[in-house]
Amino acid sequence: MASFQILPVIENRVVGPYTLLRVEDKKMHSIAKCGHFVMVGLPDSMDPFLLRPISFLSVDEKSFTILIKVKGKGTEKLSKVKEGESLKILGPLGKALEPPENGILIAGGIGIAPLYYQSEWMKSGVLFYGAKREKDLVFKEEIKDRGFIVNTISEEKRGTVVDLISENLNFLKGKKTFVCGPESMIKELKGIIGDYAKDTFVYIERRMGCGLGGCKSCAVKVYFEYKLVCQDGPIFPLHEVKFD
Amino acid sequence: MIDLTVSFNHIKLKNPIILASGVWDLPYTEIVDFNKLGGVVYKGISLKPREGNPTPRITETPCGVINSIGLANKGVENFNKEVLPLLKKFDTAIFVNIFGESIEDFSRISEKISDVSGIEVNISCPNVKKGGVSFGRDPKTAYAITKAVCKNTSLPVIVKLTPAASNIVEIAQACLDGGASAVTACNTYQGLVIDIESKKPLFDKVVGGVSGPAIKPQALYKVYQISEGVEIPVIGSGGITNYKDVLEYLIAGAKSIQLGSVIFNNPLAPMEIIDNIIKYMNEKGYRNLKDIRECIDE
Ligand SMILES: Cc1cc2nc3c(=O)[nH]c(=O)nc-3n(C[C@H](O)[C@H](O)[C@H](O)COP(=O)(O)O)c2cc1C
Ligand code: FES
Repeated sequence: MASFQILPVIENRVVGPYTLLRVEDKKMHSIAKCGHFVMVGLPDSMDPFLLRPISFLSVDEKSFTILIKVKGKGTEKLSKVKEGESLKILGPLGKALEPPENGILIAGGIGIAPLYYQSEWMKSGVLFYGAKREKDLVFKEEIKDRGFIVNTISEEKRGTVVDLISENLNFLKGKKTFVCGPESMIKELKGIIGDYAKDTFVYIERRMGCGLGGCKSCAVKVYFEYKLVCQDGPIFPLHEVKFD
Repeated sequence: MIDLTVSFNHIKLKNPIILASGVWDLPYTEIVDFNKLGGVVYKGISLKPREGNPTPRITETPCGVINSIGLANKGVENFNKEVLPLLKKFDTAIFVNIFGESIEDFSRISEKISDVSGIEVNISCPNVKKGGVSFGRDPKTAYAITKAVCKNTSLPVIVKLTPAASNIVEIAQACLDGGASAVTACNTYQGLVIDIESKKPLFDKVVGGVSGPAIKPQALYKVYQISEGVEIPVIGSGGITNYKDVLEYLIAGAKSIQLGSVIFNNPLAPMEIIDNIIKYMNEKGYRNLKDIRECIDE
């Protein structure tokens, strides 16, 4: 059951190109599930007006963390929240995922955040992970320590994660695969993985108004109907998602 | 004892705070205390389900939001079967916002609605090709739709007006003549966002509806104009985010008000606003809403 709270930030640190915020919350641990996210905003502020949907990076008994990539004014303000200041938090939101014990994770850029959280719920697997620069490939060591085989690629050196997958397509055979990254990457990936799309699940990102199924702004076409990312997602079967 | 009740033309509310159409759905009952609200207006529904516009459907503007949802909804049957029974559990007045692409649509849908406190007729959505704002701009159409709905229902009928009408007072008069119990003023303002990367409008349908604090003074003026000009109760809507905004609307002539976009920014705002109105009235020694309008402070 989701709640809306003003919660203190107890850590703000730079991780590669991102900002990691740790939020104190003793209750989230017992309710947050794999696939969930929160809406995040600044208290007593109407600028930005909308809260931002952000997935969990980790959740423990005392706190949870989120990873922020500065894209505009809103995320810039969030990234500057200091320790001791607070955030508005609405969540946990979305439909929980029952992750497999073993599977494939494919991350592009900040797409690593929810997959890092997902890896916590799994025993082992393979991570394919791409970013612009080598030094942007954050959390790869931590995921290795969780029993995953980690394959990385960077655009500055060799190419994108889609290139990496096309070289390693057979890894996907008989496995459940989970993808998170920019929509352009997901579309390209769908184009090259063919039948494996049937066992592939994708984290969809949409602009959100409410996060609670109220405004119908976060629509995604699944088969022939619109579903709501905040209610029915954010994870959908890749072969069912129709991209524009 | 403070009395927050309002009643006008067979509409009775325990307080003047109503949750506006299109910004909430059932999951909000987990966060918002519906038992505390004067009323709620359910999302614009049509005869048949509508899938709505392509995404993106929402973005921010300075001090507000702009949307192009396109009245995505699951239709009136779904409302009656799946939504209404759950809403009935709460001690609040339930209204339902209806939408049609023709006068005929409006009369057919109003026949199918019962067991609510009233129908809010949407002739003001900026995000649809047929119906919507084009109906709400024309006094003759506004009159005809209001009349058709009133003929097919015994429930109180509220008409939700668009600020895009060149003379909103004239439209409100047409709704009164057609038999409306009240008007809501107003729906979102038409607006445009351009994506400077693609050099195209952000929304597929080009125009969007602006809401939030950005439109408050404009919408407040419409409420004032209608209240001065037409003998019809007005429900204020547009940019309300705190109790002071509510007071402004009440003083401008609104009988009650609706909260929309503010719940995106703070889902607890409805309860906070009600508490703050009570606190304010206690401090001033006001006993009822009439005192708010009529007592001038020294
Ligand atoms: C996402 C969104 C969806 C809306 N959907 C409807 C609708 O279905 N029917 C309607 O009459 N008004 C709709 N509105 C308008 C609101 O009910 C309200 O009148 C308007 O947003 C102005 O109030 P506000 O500034 O408090 O949001 C919608 C507004 C938003 C932001
Ligand atoms: S964000 Fe409002 S319905 Fe999903």
